[in-house]
Amino acid sequence: MPAPEHDSDVLIVGSGASGAAAAWSLSRRGLRVTCLEQGRWVDQSEYAHSRPDYELARQTSFAKDPNVRGWAEDYPINNSGTPIHPLMVNAVGGSTVHWSGHFPRMRPSDFRVKTLDGVADDWPFTYWDLEPFYDLNDSMVGVSGLAGDPGNPPRSPRQTPPLAFDAGCEAYLRGLEKLGWHWWPCDNALISEPFGENRSPCNCCGPCDIGCPIGAMSSAHVTYWPKALAQGVQLITHARVEQITVDRAGRATGALYYDEQGVRQSHSAGVVVMAANGVGTPRLLLNSTSAIFPSGLANNSGIVGAYLMFHPVALVSGVFEEVVNGQRGPIGGLMNCQEFYETDLSRGYVRGFELQLSRNVGPLSVANGGILGHPVPWGSGHHEALRSRYAHTMTTSVMLEDLPERENRVTLDSELTDAHGIPAPRVEYRLGENTQRMLEFGIARARDLFEAAEAVEILVDPLVRESGWHLMGTCRMGDDPESSVINGWGQAHECPNLFVIDGSTFTTSAAVNPTSTIQAIALRCADWLGRNYQEVAA
Amino acid sequence: MTPRFLTPKELALLSLVQNELVPSYGDLPPAGTLGAALTVDAYLAEQPRLRRPVLTTLRAIEVRSGKTPFAELDAGRRVEVLRKVEDSDPESFSELVKQTYNAYYTRPDIQASLGIDGPPQPLGFELPAFDESRLSRVRAMGKLWRDD
Ligand SMILES: Cc1cc2nc3c(=O)[nH]c(=O)nc-3n(C[C@H](O)[C@H](O)[C@H](O)COP(=O)(O)OP(=O)(O)OC[C@H]3O[C@@H](n4cnc5c(N)ncnc54)[C@H](O)[C@@H]3O)c2cc1C
Ligand code: SF4
Repeated sequence: MPAPEHDSDVLIVGSGASGAAAAWSLSRRGLRVTCLEQGRWVDQSEYAHSRPDYELARQTSFAKDPNVRGWAEDYPINNSGTPIHPLMVNAVGGSTVHWSGHFPRMRPSDFRVKTLDGVADDWPFTYWDLEPFYDLNDSMVGVSGLAGDPGNPPRSPRQTPPLAFDAGCEAYLRGLEKLGWHWWPCDNALISEPFGENRSPCNCCGPCDIGCPIGAMSSAHVTYWPKALAQGVQLITHARVEQITVDRAGRATGALYYDEQGVRQSHSAGVVVMAANGVGTPRLLLNSTSAIFPSGLANNSGIVGAYLMFHPVALVSGVFEEVVNGQRGPIGGLMNCQEFYETDLSRGYVRGFELQLSRNVGPLSVANGGILGHPVPWGSGHHEALRSRYAHTMTTSVMLEDLPERENRVTLDSELTDAHGIPAPRVEYRLGENTQRMLEFGIARARDLFEAAEAVEILVDPLVRESGWHLMGTCRMGDDPESSVINGWGQAHECPNLFVIDGSTFTTSAAVNPTSTIQAIALRCADWLGRNYQEVAA
Repeated sequence: MTPRFLTPKELALLSLVQNELVPSYGDLPPAGTLGAALTVDAYLAEQPRLRRPVLTTLRAIEVRSGKTPFAELDAGRRVEVLRKVEDSDPESFSELVKQTYNAYYTRPDIQASLGIDGPPQPLGFELPAFDESRLSRVRAMGKLWRDD
C-alpha cells in the first residue's frame, strides 16, 4: 500500500469545545484526524473542591484570566486596549475545563438580524439548519433542563431534568411573578442524573467555575474526547502551533508547532481545521504570513481578527434578609429571564439581552468582593457585613447582544510574545453606543427584579472587567468574501482546505452564552467536511 | 514558627494590623491572633507578585504611625493610621486586606462559625427537586420568540 500523502487527513488546532466535537465527528467517518493542543490534561488531583482553601483557586491555579493564572501552557494577551478582559483555559477540553456550563441556544431571530432589525448581517444559515446539530450535540454532552420554554422554539427532551428549586429560586420567583416576566430553568451543560461513562451526576457542590472534579459538568474532556480517542484520533498535547503552512498555490499544507521539549515540528494534512478560539485562531492566522498571504492566512480581505464580539455583562446582586444559600448548587445555571430578548425600539436600542439568574459564592469570595468586586469592609463592622451577604446573596448577569464592529479586533502585539517567541495577541475593543444604552436599560430592569423580590440591598457592577468569557466573530461567517472570512460550512473563502469552526465563526453574537451554538456549528461544519473531504482535500 | 519571607518585626506588625482588619467576633479571636500573618507570609514566599504591595503597605503604616510605634497606639489611633494609608495607596492596601481575608476565611474553624461543615466535595449538597408547577403562568404566556 502506498504511504499516505499527508501525516493526517485532517489536522485540528485546539482541543476545546469545537475541536473536540469536530474530532469526534470527522473520525466517525474514518478520516485520520490529529489534534494539536498546547495544553495538557488537567489532572483530577488539581481540583481544589475537597480542600478548605478551595476558593483560593479562583485567584491562582484556576483563575479564569490566563494573564493571572500564568500556566506554562498559557499565552499572554495584551489587554491594555479593552475594558473587558478575554478569559480562557488552555488545556485538553479548552475553556470548558472550568466554566459555568450555561447552555442556552440562540433564537431563530438571532440568525437574521439584518433582515429583521436592519443591523449587522444575517448568518449564512438559519436556526432551523442548525437545529439537528444542536440536538446531536446535546445528546452527546448531556444537558440538564426542561423542554417547553415559550421563549424558544420547541426542542427535544433534555437528557436529564433541571436541577433544583431552592430558596434562591423562591426569592427570584417572588420578583418575577410580581412583574409578570418570562423565566425558565436554564439548559445547563451538566448532568443531574446518571448519563455517559465515568461521570457522576452533579451533587450541587457549587464552584463549577474552578472545574468539576466528578465529571458532572459536560466539559469537552469528559464528553467528546474519550469517544474521539476511542475512534483513533491522535491528540498531541503540549503542542503549541506557531503557524499554518501553505503551498505556492495558497493551499494549507499543515502546521509548524513546538513540542513538549520545545523542539519545532511540522505536521502535514489534507485539511486544516482551526479551533483555537476567538482569540487564538485569528492570532495564528495573522502569524501565518506567506508570499500569497502577506497579511496572514486567508486575510487578503483584512477581516481576520476584526469584528471581535464579547457579551458585555453587568452584574447585579440582591442581598436578602432570608438565607438563600447561593453558594450551594452549580454557580451558573438556575433560571433565565428572556423578557427583553427581542428588539423593541421604544427601549432606545436595537436587539436585546437576557437576565441570567444565577447563584453566588463562598465566604472568602464574598469577603473579597463576591462576583461583583465589592469587598466587605474591614474593621469593626466587618463580621456583620460579611454575615449579611454570605448565604444571603443572589447574582444576576445582564448579558447583552454585542453588535459586530470592525474596529473591535484581535491583532498581533508588536512586542509581547509567548514562551516560544510567538507574537502574542493584542485586543482592542470599545463598547458601541447601542450596547451602552442597552446596558443601562438592563441594569435598571435587574434592579426592578431585585426590588420586586424584596432584596434589602442591591449591588451593581455596571461593566464587569473579567467577563470576556465569550470570544466571538474574529473570522466571521458570511457569503460575501469582502465582508467575511469563511462561508457557512466554515471553509475559508481564500483558502478552500482551511476551515474555522470555533467561536470566531459567529456573524453576530446573540445575547446568550455561545458554546452550545459553537459546538453545533462545529458538528455541522465537520459533517459537511466529512462528506466532501475528497473534493476539499484534492 | 519562623517566617519564610517577612522579618520577625514585619510579621509582628502584620499581625497587629490584621487584628484591626478582621477584629474579634463573639468567641472568635481576631485574624492576627489566629495566626493569619504566618499564612500571609507563606503566600508571599510562594507568590512574588504579592510582595511589593504588602511590604509597601507595612512600611507606610510604620511611617504614618510617627514616633509612637503602631504597637503602642491605642485602638482608635491604629484605625486612623490604617485609613490614612488606605487613602494614600488603595491598591496596595487592598492587596494586604485581600491576603488577610484569604488567610482567615480558608480556616476550617472560621468556616464552621459560618455554618460550613466542610469543603464542597465530596459530599456536595442536597437541594429540593425542581417544581414544574411553578411554571404554569409562564407556560400560558404563549410563543415569545420571533421568526418572521
Ligand atoms: C470562566 C469561564 C466561564 C464560561 N462559562 C460559560 C458558560 O456558562 N456557557 C457558555 O456557553 N460558555 C461559557 N464559557 C465560554 C466557553 O468556555 C467557550 O465559549 C468555549 O469553550 C469556546 O470553544 P472554542 O472551541 O471556541 O475554544 P476553547 O474551548 O477555548 O478551545 C481552544 C483551544 O485551543 C488551544 N489553542 C489555542 N491556541 C493554540 C496554539 N497556538 N496551539 C495549540 N493549541 C492552541 C487552547 O489551548 C484551547 O484548548 C466560559 C468561559 C470561561 C473562561
Ligand atoms: S456544582 Fe455540580 S457541576 Fe458544578 S462542580 Fe459541583 S458537582 Fe460539578
